Amino acid sequence: MFSSLQNPRQAAAQLLNFGLILSTAFMMWKGLSVVTDSPSPIVVVLSGSMEPAFQRGDLLLLWNRNLFEETNVGEVVVYNVKGKDIPIVHRIVRKFGSGPDAKLLTKGDNNAADDTELYARGQDYLTRKDIVGSVVAYMPFVGYVTIMLSEHPWLKTVMLGIMGLVVVLQRE
Amino acid sequence: MASQEKISVYNLADLKNTSDDAIPNYLNSLRFRQSHRLTDVRLTLGFSALALAAATFAWDCKFGFDSTKHLTAVAVALYTLLNGALALWISRVERGTVYVGTSPSGDEVRISTSVEKNVPVYHVTIEVTSKGGKKETIKIDRSLAEWFDETGRFVAAPFQAMFARGVAVIGSADPKRARVEEEGDQKEAESAGAAAYTPEMLDVLAKATGVGSASDAEATGAAKKGGKRRKA
Repeated sequence: MFSSLQNPRQAAAQLLNFGLILSTAFMMWKGLSVVTDSPSPIVVVLSGSMEPAFQRGDLLLLWNRNLFEETNVGEVVVYNVKGKDIPIVHRIVRKFGSGPDAKLLTKGDNNAADDTELYARGQDYLTRKDIVGSVVAYMPFVGYVTIMLSEHPWLKTVMLGIMGLVVVLQRE
Repeated sequence: MASQEKISVYNLADLKNTSDDAIPNYLNSLRFRQSHRLTDVRLTLGFSALALAAATFAWDCKFGFDSTKHLTAVAVALYTLLNGALALWISRVERGTVYVGTSPSGDEVRISTSVEKNVPVYHVTIEVTSKGGKKETIKIDRSLAEWFDETGRFVAAPFQAMFARGVAVIGSADPKRARVEEEGDQKEAESAGAAAYTPEMLDVLAKATGVGSASDAEATGAAKKGGKRRKA
């Protein structure tokens, strides 16, 4: 099982195999980021505020380039609020002005009121640069795993343990 | 060294890896000079790709996505190239090579091995480039059961004899093995298919398993299977 550790080249090759799995996953993510121009091109819906369009656990693919037209009223966008690190998926319902300084107001389809309550203190509207991307595709339910993992942290430990065991026990 | 461990005889990857590891052990003991160029190129390609990904990770954490996205785009393209080169190197240049070395007489030997899924046959391809530049390719396909006993222990003699007898360059470096194999063949004919174990090997096996003695190890063809069931 640990026999290869006596041969430095074989040990290095085994380390490399493990490292390449991680680095390839990371670089694919970054490649997708570069193509979509979004720092976080895939997000998971965490709340029911956009039902019935999106449920908790849906996986969303974002696109953050304005190749043909500006981001407009009616689009579902993901935005970040200063000081909060959880991205929010809501729909643009008002737009004042145009270009990068246009003032945008968002609202969840399932919410009674618009998002001014959710914005940072003293902030009444969003601008284009607050937006991480517009939703272009979604996969239902797939992201539920990450919700489970963040709500029950002990699951992470269990999963890491199992993965570690598999890597140690297998050579191929 | 994997060849000293017992492995599961039902695990083809284990069988192949243990056999692969035994090749450099054997040939280097015959004063072949092993060349690590293929492995070194692969490791260089792989670790530079890894370093690039680590650097990307570092600047992404430190400076955020927006201020570094052009650099990240270049890094992603470069990483794709490096990984593509690595894949090509493994599939086109290495082609399953487990050993490259030069024999004491100056001939270059390159050995690649493969197994097919769920078929316990070890395919060995040996390319010998003699000092004069003449190339010769030898293919050997043998059952893995020939050098693993039923308890999963690697038995070096038949394995080494396969090379010593099949490849002239190796045979001339190890005349003893080449000869033992021929004697083994006669025995094989006598005992109708039993593995070509020598009495010395059976002694070693008996000591290792802690059962049997030298005398009953030498006794019959049935005993030559080795392993724990010998006493029954």
